[in-house]
Amino acid sequence: MPSTLERSIAFTRRPGWSLYLRHRYRLPYLLLLPVVLLLLLFLAWPLASVFYFSLRRTPLGEPSQFVGLDNFALLFREARFLGNILASLQYLVGVLGLSVPVAYLAAVLISSKVRGAGAFRTLFLLPWIIAPVVSAILFRTMVDPYTGPVARALETLTGRKYLFLVNPQLAVITIIVHSAWRSFPLEMLLIAAGLTSIPQELYDSAKVDGAGGWAQFRYVTLPLTKNQLFVAVLLITIWTLQDAEGVYSLTQGGPGYTTEVVGVRLFKEAFIYFNVGIAAAIGVVLIALSVLFMVFYLRVLGAGEGQ
Amino acid sequence: MAEQRVVRRLSRRDFMRLSSLGLVALGLGGCVMPTAVAPAASPQPSPALKKPVTIKWAHYFDPLQSPAQKFNYAWMERMVATFEEKYPEINVEPEYFDWDKIDNRSILDYEAGIKHDVMFGSPQLMAKHFQVGDYIDLTPYIKQWPEDEVKDFSWSPVWASARQDDVQIGVPTGVHTRSVAYRRDMFKEAGLDPDTPPKTWDECLEAAKALTKGDVWGLGMYFGPSRATIELYFAPFVWHFGGELWDPATKKATFASEAGVKAAQVIYDLVYTHKVTPESAIGGTYDDAILASFLAGRLAMGWGFGSYWIVSLEEKGFIKNCFPAKAECTEETAGVMVTPTAPGAQFTNAWTLSIHKLSEHPAEAFKFLEFLIAPENLYDFPDAGLPARLSLWSKAEFQSSFYQKWLEAARKGRPMPPTVHYPELADTTAACLQEILVNKAPIAETLKKFEDEWNAKYAGA
Repeated sequence: MPSTLERSIAFTRRPGWSLYLRHRYRLPYLLLLPVVLLLLLFLAWPLASVFYFSLRRTPLGEPSQFVGLDNFALLFREARFLGNILASLQYLVGVLGLSVPVAYLAAVLISSKVRGAGAFRTLFLLPWIIAPVVSAILFRTMVDPYTGPVARALETLTGRKYLFLVNPQLAVITIIVHSAWRSFPLEMLLIAAGLTSIPQELYDSAKVDGAGGWAQFRYVTLPLTKNQLFVAVLLITIWTLQDAEGVYSLTQGGPGYTTEVVGVRLFKEAFIYFNVGIAAAIGVVLIALSVLFMVFYLRVLGAGEGQ
Repeated sequence: MAEQRVVRRLSRRDFMRLSSLGLVALGLGGCVMPTAVAPAASPQPSPALKKPVTIKWAHYFDPLQSPAQKFNYAWMERMVATFEEKYPEINVEPEYFDWDKIDNRSILDYEAGIKHDVMFGSPQLMAKHFQVGDYIDLTPYIKQWPEDEVKDFSWSPVWASARQDDVQIGVPTGVHTRSVAYRRDMFKEAGLDPDTPPKTWDECLEAAKALTKGDVWGLGMYFGPSRATIELYFAPFVWHFGGELWDPATKKATFASEAGVKAAQVIYDLVYTHKVTPESAIGGTYDDAILASFLAGRLAMGWGFGSYWIVSLEEKGFIKNCFPAKAECTEETAGVMVTPTAPGAQFTNAWTLSIHKLSEHPAEAFKFLEFLIAPENLYDFPDAGLPARLSLWSKAEFQSSFYQKWLEAARKGRPMPPTVHYPELADTTAACLQEILVNKAPIAETLKKFEDEWNAKYAGA
């Protein structure tokens, strides 16, 4: 006897079925058309134009020329651009390494039943709603060697002056802390959503089995919030890789090119130097980097899915 | 009997018909919609204006940004009100942009078809503006000026910066020459004569060493990630040692020359060998490193002190009766001296006024531009720093020794090289200097590395 699936396939192969389908679903497709057109206009077109301009030299006031892969060749021959990529990777690792644990702790706090959890929820969301340029100015003020409270407090404690935006290591730490501070609320919200969906019984049975705090986290919390963690890490990765405004407002890429991450370089090439072709080529590299990370996360965090 | 309500359902066919009609109507509407075409800039002012026109004035005055900007903003408001009173047929609508973005905004908006009228612009970016073509040629208008009027402006290096291939695309509003501001009281304390400040670089360095004490640094400079680094510090020393940053013949960067190496060495030694300039100068902002630090008493000498900061010195009480300029101007706590580099090795620029290529009212815009640069209006424009008009300098108000030193500095000043890729050159040299200072990288090799990097992309362009 044929299965349901086999019967369905046979049914769809009847003569006139295709015509029926076209007639039946014409209206839904037509209703979807405006959205599809908008998506093509605002997503596909800009994306295609990035690839198009990356293959052209586009000086302002002059017609553009096709230059093949010259823009990419120029970039990859530059020590500066390779430094930009390394700075971005360092920035990304730093931001994720700092923000994910903080986000977990904050998520546990806001989803617990402790008094004042609601207040913490509001408080922890503040960094997320502050504009990056504003928070960058705030950070810059705090680390000013003469008037900044952080720099002054450290000087009082250690007896030496801290030049946060002059010392390369401190400058990197400053942009990482700034970005992690801005990123953790989103991660916290996503992880908290996962935490609240874990049944209490699982923790109770883990306790009965003798699991301590760490074991509960490792064998209950982490596996059951893996999906939320994946989304959070992916979003923050894309966000951090493309970040230009926060870093530029803090350091402008300095000292030297130490904090000139790929996003900052793209911003400079596009909006200060007007090298549209180079900027587009950097954009393509950024897209490639984001896709690479997405595939990597899917493999690492998505491993074991459905088992 | 209750009235029966008839609800007519829209059939699928009707819906499709209506949608198609709507789309066709939109398409046709789009086709016949008159497109705005910017009229060609006419050198002839409109003969009789029948209805009021509105022109936009792109400025950079934010009253909340700094005390100096508060004065600029007040001046701007007064200018608009006075002009509208004098010319009721023309309305002026100010539009604000950040000072370091106003040039780029003009270029981008020109490419995007966004119209402006009168715009402030930076002389360092005139080559770029000329290449893009976002400013109109003011030559036909200026040709109608009396010869003396042209001479009154053309003495300053800024006038030359705004002239590209014999096309005048901007008119200077002032003279932003830089000097060294110094604390007279600290000079006395260090046993130096405040009335005879250093005249040569060696004298300046010796004075800086004598003045460095405790929390006070002898010589304030700025080497941060900004254009100020090349303009006020690196370039003057390169020129001082007989070098150039860029060769106009080959259009190549030349800052890694012997003069460039000497200039970078001087800067390095100030921070690490003589320890008269704070290491914090490598970061932060130019305003904080020089103006704020000088006013706060952290610097005995502030190198690269802009003439646009005279108002701040006056407000602090460091000078008296100097802003607006008066004959009784006196230096109290602070004085100024000409930058002690070789003659002609000082940087001078100023804001220029230009007219955007997409202006629909270029004649009215030029009328406003002429109004702004009238002697009585430029006289107390705080950000002018110093008078752009040479004739104003002979007035009694500018005869004090304070102002005569600024005039000497202005006469010795020179503009930055007219490369189209000036922002890239400025950023490259600033990053290069920072690498030398922060990582203590070998000077000659590092300069060469950055010069090669710039030339690989921009040489010949």
